[in-house]
Amino acid sequence: MKLINKLTYWILGVVFLVTPFTMVISYRSIKDNINNAEIARLTQVTDKVAAQLKAGQPPHQYMLDRPITVKTVAAMPTVKTQPHNYNFYNTELKRNECRMDVTSYYNINGKVYAVYTYNYVTQGRQIIMGMIYALAWKMGLLTISVLITGRLLSKYILSPFNQTLKSIGQFTLGNREKLVLPATTTAEFKELNSFLKNMTDRALQEYSAVKEFSENASHEVQTPLAVIRTKLELLSETPINEDQALLIGDMQSSIEKLVKINRSLLLLTKLNNAEYHTTEQVKLCRIAKDMVRDMEPHMEMKGITLRNHIGSNIPVLIHPVLAEILLNNLLSNAIRYNAPDGYIDITLTPNRLMVKNPGQPPVVEPEMLFQRFKKSNQCADSIGLGLSIVQQICSVNNFEVSYTYQNNEHILQVIFAEEALQTEQAITVEETFFAADTALA
Amino acid sequence: MKVLVLEDNPQLGASIREFLTREGYLCEVADTYAKAKDKILSSGYDLILLDIMLPDGNGLDLLRIIKQENIASGVLIISAKEALDDKIRGLEGGADDYITKPFHLSELHARLRAIYRRKNPAGSSGSIISFNEISLNTDTLEAFINNQLLDITRKEFDLLMYFVVNKNRVLSKQAIATHLWGDYTDNLDNLDFVYQHVKNLRRKIAQLNGTDYIDTVYGLGYRFKATEAAI
Repeated sequence: MKLINKLTYWILGVVFLVTPFTMVISYRSIKDNINNAEIARLTQVTDKVAAQLKAGQPPHQYMLDRPITVKTVAAMPTVKTQPHNYNFYNTELKRNECRMDVTSYYNINGKVYAVYTYNYVTQGRQIIMGMIYALAWKMGLLTISVLITGRLLSKYILSPFNQTLKSIGQFTLGNREKLVLPATTTAEFKELNSFLKNMTDRALQEYSAVKEFSENASHEVQTPLAVIRTKLELLSETPINEDQALLIGDMQSSIEKLVKINRSLLLLTKLNNAEYHTTEQVKLCRIAKDMVRDMEPHMEMKGITLRNHIGSNIPVLIHPVLAEILLNNLLSNAIRYNAPDGYIDITLTPNRLMVKNPGQPPVVEPEMLFQRFKKSNQCADSIGLGLSIVQQICSVNNFEVSYTYQNNEHILQVIFAEEALQTEQAITVEETFFAADTALA
Repeated sequence: MKVLVLEDNPQLGASIREFLTREGYLCEVADTYAKAKDKILSSGYDLILLDIMLPDGNGLDLLRIIKQENIASGVLIISAKEALDDKIRGLEGGADDYITKPFHLSELHARLRAIYRRKNPAGSSGSIISFNEISLNTDTLEAFINNQLLDITRKEFDLLMYFVVNKNRVLSKQAIATHLWGDYTDNLDNLDFVYQHVKNLRRKIAQLNGTDYIDTVYGLGYRFKATEAAI
């Protein structure tokens, strides 16, 4: 639920909840005021009558058109003026009536007089009806104005917050750009912004420290690796027996693996650093065709048939080095994990690149194989970074990559981002099938 | 042939010197920018191996000096950084080739020989490399056994050339794979493929009655066995 809706509901809820109490208060206050005003007026009348009595004038003149009765009573009560509210049903008008009686006691010339008068006052029901009518309008207007102003004001008040949200949404560590937040006068937003600013700045700092470390570490490892590799080469030149040769050979293949892991990690780091940023498009079809041609001997050796659906004139926004690594990794995987006497189906259109090959079903979820060092089968030669690199290349170029296993086929698909496409040209798909012959073997 | 190796790591410098000396090169090692600069300016080298990252300077600056002074030496850049920028700047700055650490000594040697051939086309009968009955034309990429054209693929030509350049050396399958397919073809079963290529090459040479110089070195790789050592 949106904040503004929540606030609106709460405000309206509180208003509806408090309104009955205020109604009681208002009703009582109005009623009391009316009664008090009437009592004051009637008391004044009885005072006047008492004054006339005191002056010895006959009070009847004053009482002519007023319902006043004067009686003498035995003793003076403690309360001089006694108002009394009297409700009854008027049978002629067929409605309830409310009457205010006031009896005042005066001590005049040693005699105690009770002067009584009354008047009709507005009855409570009428007041309540009027109040309910007013309340209906009040609540209606209040609801509408809260809804409208809430929406209008929230746009204005929450705009720094929304801008902040947008900024965080667009913030990525990889860009190495500091978070820029809008200025605001709201205390909470100020606090939020300064908190976010500190947090992202610190994250950026630590991110680049880690980056720098991993890049430096990779570079620093290169020289010792070079030392070991060259020393082993020199050692293998010396007179050695077979056992020693085997030991050296094992070391060499381990060094080789280490070199590959290090090189791949370095590449991944560089991809993160956007070192392969490009603004030029390459003809992916040309690179793909070259790559396929280079790999034909490998396919032949394993008896793999190529189903070539590489279109022509397909420009894609990607660094040429990355395009080569991407295609190389995809095709190498397709060769490596192919079924005996299988095939590789490669499709390249302006929208997507798809590589399909038959093979054993993966033992883990295919998507999991994008993780670093995750291997489908613990193949000794594989270092388990090929697909991570594919994914990273796709991610820096805003491509979408997916790996599925359907109908005994491994399907790796790369969908190029719309912006990576120059034109949606109709392409001609050449289909060249050639069977693998085992000329090489 | 006189070679200057600029490498700040003493062990690596020693490895390179030992290897190149065995190949008959006259090899000097400098471990700082200042020493290298003195040596470059004072004596002439056929080839200079430049490490880019040095404790007291940048190899690319030395490259600039080499070009400013019109020193004719061939330059091979060695770098631990695989950064494309370095590669491009190095080659644009006039370096002849670029190799990244960690490299195989046999690969380094092959690159040095290639630079030397390009720099001195007039020497040793142009672009022809010969060894006994084998001759390789590096321009046309054709190989001959006793003047008969050897029908080999491009990769097999590269392989043969690698063997001839590094004759009498033990070449590991990994070194051969890296030479033939580069650094990034990590996922391919290249080692099996090296075996296939070597097998095919030996068969094809045998078909033309060439000598089988290629020896399998148990556990390690292959060796192109040449009785006479020649540079």
